[in-house]
Amino acid sequence: MVFRHLLQMVRSYSFRKLREKGGGRFLPALTFLMLAPAFCVTQQTALDLDGNSVNPLKSNAGQLVVLVFVRGDCPISGRYAPTIQRISEEHQKDARFYLVFPDKSESPSDIRKYLRDFRYSIPGLRDPEHALVKQAHAQVTPEAAVFDAKGALVYHGRIDNLYEAYGRARSASTTHELEDAIQAALAGGAPSNKEVAGVGCYISDLR
Amino acid sequence: MKRPFSLAGIGFILAIALALRPGTGVHAQAAPDRKDDKQVTFTRDIAPVVFQSCARCHRPGESGPFPLLTYDDVKKHARQIEIVTRTRFMPPWLPELQALKFADEPRLLDEQIATIRKWVEEGAPEGNPSDLPSPPKSVEGWQLGQPDLVLKAATPYLLPASGSDLYWNFIFPVPIDRTRWVRAVEIRPGDKRFVHHANILVDRLQNSRQREKEPGAGFEGMEIKIESETFDPDSHFLFWKPGTVPYLEPEGMALRLDKGTDLVLNIHLQPSGKPETIQPTIGLYFTDQPATKFPMLLQLQNDTKLDIPAGEKNFVVSDELTLPIDVDLLAVYPHAHYLGKDLQATATLPGGSTNTLIHIPQWDLNWQAVYRYAQPIFLPKGTTVSMRYVYDNSTENALNPNHPPERVRGGNRSKDEMAHLWLQMLPRNFDPKAGDPRMQLQEALSRHDIRNNPADFEAYYNLASMLQARGNVAHAIAEYQAALRIRPHDATANNALGAALIASGQPDRARAYLQAAAQTSPEYFDAHYNLGNALASAGDFPGAAEQFAAAVRIKPDDADAHANLGSALAELGRFAEAKAQFERALGINPAHALAQENLQQLQSAMGNH
Repeated sequence: MVFRHLLQMVRSYSFRKLREKGGGRFLPALTFLMLAPAFCVTQQTALDLDGNSVNPLKSNAGQLVVLVFVRGDCPISGRYAPTIQRISEEHQKDARFYLVFPDKSESPSDIRKYLRDFRYSIPGLRDPEHALVKQAHAQVTPEAAVFDAKGALVYHGRIDNLYEAYGRARSASTTHELEDAIQAALAGGAPSNKEVAGVGCYISDLR
Repeated sequence: MKRPFSLAGIGFILAIALALRPGTGVHAQAAPDRKDDKQVTFTRDIAPVVFQSCARCHRPGESGPFPLLTYDDVKKHARQIEIVTRTRFMPPWLPELQALKFADEPRLLDEQIATIRKWVEEGAPEGNPSDLPSPPKSVEGWQLGQPDLVLKAATPYLLPASGSDLYWNFIFPVPIDRTRWVRAVEIRPGDKRFVHHANILVDRLQNSRQREKEPGAGFEGMEIKIESETFDPDSHFLFWKPGTVPYLEPEGMALRLDKGTDLVLNIHLQPSGKPETIQPTIGLYFTDQPATKFPMLLQLQNDTKLDIPAGEKNFVVSDELTLPIDVDLLAVYPHAHYLGKDLQATATLPGGSTNTLIHIPQWDLNWQAVYRYAQPIFLPKGTTVSMRYVYDNSTENALNPNHPPERVRGGNRSKDEMAHLWLQMLPRNFDPKAGDPRMQLQEALSRHDIRNNPADFEAYYNLASMLQARGNVAHAIAEYQAALRIRPHDATANNALGAALIASGQPDRARAYLQAAAQTSPEYFDAHYNLGNALASAGDFPGAAEQFAAAVRIKPDDADAHANLGSALAELGRFAEAKAQFERALGINPAHALAQENLQQLQSAMGNH
């Protein structure tokens, strides 16, 4: 089990390195990985709540993938729970939703409790090393990223415009960027906005 | 006599001062050992600011959504902290800096904000652990110690997971067997993270209970109205918002609570994303010192002028009141709903000079508060207090509850608007022998309300009762009649007019009004009692006995009604029944003079038979 995941990560890691920096980097990267494989696993992948590394973008079975980044200590994340859960239910058949927790200090049991308290039925993932944060270009929590069936990022940013600024919430949102992006991706097109900044807690403040 | 005083309980929501306000004119005490080229560190530079200005709320059990007690806590929200302090969204404080100072302003100095910014730009370093000041001390539980009386909401309120803001009212009966004086009230609104503000109204007649589906259930509503029976104006702001430290009333200004009084807690809640249970408690701290100073809450308002067209960005409502007596202004509470944008109040002194009492350049219902002045503001007789509120009913106002915007008028629902300015005033330099000086304030206020809205029934009614209380019965009768032209069937006004006519020696004219009152409200004790008196003055003792009998049926413990029933029965020669009524009156009040006298007379009359 562990071995299989490790292999998968080695491939994805080396491949990225190769693409980013051009040829000639393959060997040092591999050497590094071989020297510290366990360290590399926790550093470079998201984890499920049992500690297994997972890559939601690879196991999507040809479906859309929606990542929603949240933090337990971010009140705006909490307030969005019913909206996120509703959107995930409405797209149960066409998209896989994951709630991604980028704060490494949030333990699996903290997250399980959070999912219970907020009545989530979508899976939670830990992203302690921000592998998914980087892939989704996530800036704040809560924020969503929509990947198409081929794994390409088609939208990232706010869920809707409920918050105009900190503490300045509308009685109801009047734009629905996440739902629009899902619809567009399902229709095989691109959403009118590829990214819209959200209001929330900065992920870059996390250590 | 029952007098409806319009006391809107004030409820509510959301937002921010985005405007950068440079140059507050206040200067930080420069840290002596800090040079500009030195790196800003958490332990030396940031922790003292955060501990002093943020940690009161940002700690477990308080209203802040996350704690700010350690480097890790603060680092995890560093950029957010930089933004919310720079925009002055935090610490929450709406008024602009002004000459008349408020107590406990949590405003950060410009220098402190700049330091936070520099720290975040430099990567938010921790610094030397030995520089760290000791974390702020926090008092667990009741902030003023164990209260003399703790009231707990009978039924918790279940806050739904989602939706917009909610307003709920809890009724707390106060189990006291005599009048008590309250020097402080501590409101513990339940889980403070979900409560935006809370306000207690004193309900001396248990009026609000009628709004509960069952006793103790509570009821929904943003604004509530409470009647009072005698001239007993609201006098104290009993207000909670995040970060509130319980307020000890000044010497001599304790709040009176009588047996049978209810406290109504009006609470503004915001859903958190998951269901929450809210069960507030109230702690009362008593004193043996009865009040010697009697402030009054006055309300400037011009809700009838609130008719804001859809899309209107700058709709102005203003109001003013010229003070008939000298007062000290102790506190202000501006109130508008979601469309309110710029709220300002000024005082123009008789000499013509003006003072800003408060100016909120970006109103935010979420952070509404009672603002107490650091020192009482003396406003001499002849001062004009005015308010000017600006409303934004366009799509540019993110808090606009209507999308697209709709025409909005004044009203009690959160979708309606309000233009209220509450002022806590303490009369000064008055002659105590000339009666309660607050009556002059109330009279001026009622005349002002009538000018603003000639269809304001309550204003005529309150004016009439003020005139009557001050001995001006003839004018009171005219104002009651004006009130009745607006609401001809109002039982309270019909009864009051009848009572005023009796008092002015016109019981014959009184009868029709009292009959109307008793007809509209068959369970109205006062109407039956007064009608009994009017009939008795005209020699109609059978009619009088019938009315007094109705009165004692409604209030079996009223000694006056029993004594009067006894008198009417005695006039009719029904001595045995009369005797029983006098004895009943004396059973309730052994010192009842009329019952004693009449019983004696009756016994001698019965002896003669």
